[in-house]
Amino acid sequence: MKNVLLAPLDPVHDIGLKMIARGLEAAGYETVLLPPDLTAEEIIHTALGEKTGTLLLSRTLGYGVAELLARFVDLADAAGLRSQVKLGIGGMAVRPELAAELGFDGGFGPGTTVEEVICFIEGREYCPDPAKTAKAKTDMTAGYDYRYRHAGIASKLADISAMILGWAKDKTSPGVERARLRDELWDAARWRARQGDGELYKHYPALCGDIPRKYYAGGELHPKTRRFGKGEVEGLEKYLAETKARMSVRKLQHSRRKPLVFVQYGTGCPFMDIGHILASEAWGADGVVHFDPSWGARTEGFLDGFLTHQEDGTVITPANLNRIHMGLEDSTLWQVRAHRGLNTPETVVLAAKLGADLTKINFCYGALGAGTDPARMVVDACAAIRYAAKYRLPFDVVTNEELCGVPAHKAFAGMLIVADLAVRLGGRPILQPLFAYSPEAMIGGLMADNYIDFNVAKIKALRAIVNAPVWPGAPIGFLTHTEDRVQSAMTTALHACLASALEVDAISIASTDEAYSGGPIAAPSRIDTLRAVAEGFRFFGQAGIAATAQADRYAAELVAGIEQVLDAVLAEGDFVAAVHKGALGSRAEGAYPGRTGKDTVTTTKH
Amino acid sequence: MSKITEQIMDALDVETFFVCASEEEGRNLMLGLLKSWGFTDVDVVFAQYEGPGVRVRGRAYVYRPADKYRWLLKDAAAQEGCR
Repeated sequence: MKNVLLAPLDPVHDIGLKMIARGLEAAGYETVLLPPDLTAEEIIHTALGEKTGTLLLSRTLGYGVAELLARFVDLADAAGLRSQVKLGIGGMAVRPELAAELGFDGGFGPGTTVEEVICFIEGREYCPDPAKTAKAKTDMTAGYDYRYRHAGIASKLADISAMILGWAKDKTSPGVERARLRDELWDAARWRARQGDGELYKHYPALCGDIPRKYYAGGELHPKTRRFGKGEVEGLEKYLAETKARMSVRKLQHSRRKPLVFVQYGTGCPFMDIGHILASEAWGADGVVHFDPSWGARTEGFLDGFLTHQEDGTVITPANLNRIHMGLEDSTLWQVRAHRGLNTPETVVLAAKLGADLTKINFCYGALGAGTDPARMVVDACAAIRYAAKYRLPFDVVTNEELCGVPAHKAFAGMLIVADLAVRLGGRPILQPLFAYSPEAMIGGLMADNYIDFNVAKIKALRAIVNAPVWPGAPIGFLTHTEDRVQSAMTTALHACLASALEVDAISIASTDEAYSGGPIAAPSRIDTLRAVAEGFRFFGQAGIAATAQADRYAAELVAGIEQVLDAVLAEGDFVAAVHKGALGSRAEGAYPGRTGKDTVTTTKH
Repeated sequence: MSKITEQIMDALDVETFFVCASEEEGRNLMLGLLKSWGFTDVDVVFAQYEGPGVRVRGRAYVYRPADKYRWLLKDAAAQEGCR
C-alpha cells in the first residue's frame, strides 16, 4: 500500500517529518501529514480511518521519550492498529535499537534519508549508496605549474639552487648511501612475499649507528621497544577484517572540493595507530601523517621487525610501515615524514616502496629547528628530493622553524629555496606555511586583534610569488590550543574554515589533546576536531571570511622580507655558511644550527 | 579490568562540574573519583575554576601504547594473561 501517514508525536516540531513526506511524495507515495500536538489517541483514531499501511511518528525532544513511545505502542495494540500497520519512529533521540525495544518496526535517528524510509516501507534492506561516501585519492599538486609571479624572487632562487646543487654534487653521507642500498637492493614485493631482503643487510649495518648495528649484530632492541607477539598479530588481522567489513568514511568538505584534511598519528604503537587511523577515517580524515620518535631522526639507520614503542612516535621499520599501510582505506592519503634527521633519503625510498602518497622534506627546518647538521641535512635532502621525484612522491616543505621563533619571512625564504630546488630536480613540492600563533606574532603583536590577517597574509604572499599548492599546517592553529577540548576543537575548526575560505589545498589538524602533555593522545580527541571541522565547513559552505586591510600590508612585508633573505644568502655565496650565520634564522631568533650528523659528509670519488 | 573497560580503545575521559572552593580541590576530587572506580593510571586533562566550582575533565588510561589491548586480543587474552 503506497499510503503513508506521518504524525509528529510532539507539541511543536514536525520539520523532519515534513522533509520525509516531501521526499516520499516525490517518490510516488500518497502521504498524509498530521499537525503537531495531537494526542496518541487522536493519531491512532486517524490511522484507523485512513487505512494506512505505514505510520511514521516523530518525536524530537529526548526527555521522557521512551515512556511516551511505549505508551503509544500499548494504545495502538489495544486499538487493534498495531497488527494492521508498519510502525516507524524517528527523532533526534531515536536509535533503531531503542525503537525495536519499544515495539516499533523501525527507528530513524538524525541524518535519515528518504531512501532509508522507503526501504522500511517496502520491507527492503537499506544499502547506502556507496557513491555517496566513496572517496578517491586526490593529487593536490595537479594543476599547479610552479611558474613564478615574482620575477625578482624567481631569479634569486635560481641562483641559490645552482649554488646548492653545485656544492652538493660531489658529496655523500651514510644516509645517502643507505638510501642507495634501499633503492637498489631492496624489493618490497619480494619482501612482502617473504622472499627476504636481497643483499641489503650484507652492507646496511656498516652504515648504521649503534642502535641499529646492535640490532643487526645480535637482535638487541632499543630499550623502549618490543616485538609484537604472534597472538597480537593474529588479533590485529581479525580486528582489521571485522572493522573493515563495516567501515564507511565521511566527507568533511560539505559543498567544497578542498581542503583535504590530514591528521597526524604516532602513538608509538602501530596497532594503536591503526585504531586511531580507522576512527579518523570514519570521521572524515582524508589523509594521515606518520610521526616517528625523535630519537629515530638522530639515529643512523632503521631497525627492522614489527615493533611497538612505549613513548610518542611510531618507529619506522619496513614491517611497521607496511602494517599501517595495509590498514588504510583505499581513499586515504598516507604521508611519511622524512624531513628532519639522519634518515631523510632512505625514509623517502622506503615510504615510496611501501605505498606512501606523500612525504615531507625541508633541509632548512631540519638544520635549524630539528638538530641536524646543516651540511649533512642539505646533502641528504638533495638526495631525498631526487628520490621523491623518481618515485613521484609529492612532499610538503614545512616551516616549523617559525615555532622556534624564526620570523615567517625567513622560514618562507627557506621553504621557497627548497621548493625551487625540488622543481629543478623534477619534484612536486607543496608549500606548508604555518597557521600558528607563532612567537614572532606574539612578540610583535601581529595577531593582537585577530588570528585572520597574518595567516591570510601568508597565503597572499606565497601566491604573489609562485603558483604552487599550499597546505597549511602543521597542525593549523598551533599555539592557540589549550587543554580545554571545547576551546581546542573550536580553534582548530576556525583555522580550518579560514583555510577553506582561502581555497588552500590541504590542512593538517591536531586532536583536542594537542596541548595536553600528561599522556598519549586518546582516540576521542581525534574525533573532537574532525567533528568540529565538519561543522565549520557546513556552517560556511561557499561563504567567505574577510580579512582587514592589515592582511595586505603584512603580505607586502613578507614578500619584501623574503627577497632580503635571498639577497643575504646570495651575498654569502655559500648556502651552508649562510645557514650557520643566521640568514634563514639566527640564534637570537631561536634557530640553532644542529650538530647531529656533523662531519659525516664526505666527498665522492670520481 | 572489567569486560566493559577492556573494550575502551585507550582512555576513559570523565567530565563534570564539582561544587568546590578551588581548582586544586576540584582536581583532587576528580582524581579521587577515578581511583575510587579502580583506575590507577589517572590524570586531570583540564580544569577551570570559577566562583561556583570547577569544570574538570579527568582521564583514566586503560591502555597505553605498547600495552596488550584486549579489544584486539579477545581470543588470545585469556591464554596469554594480558595486562
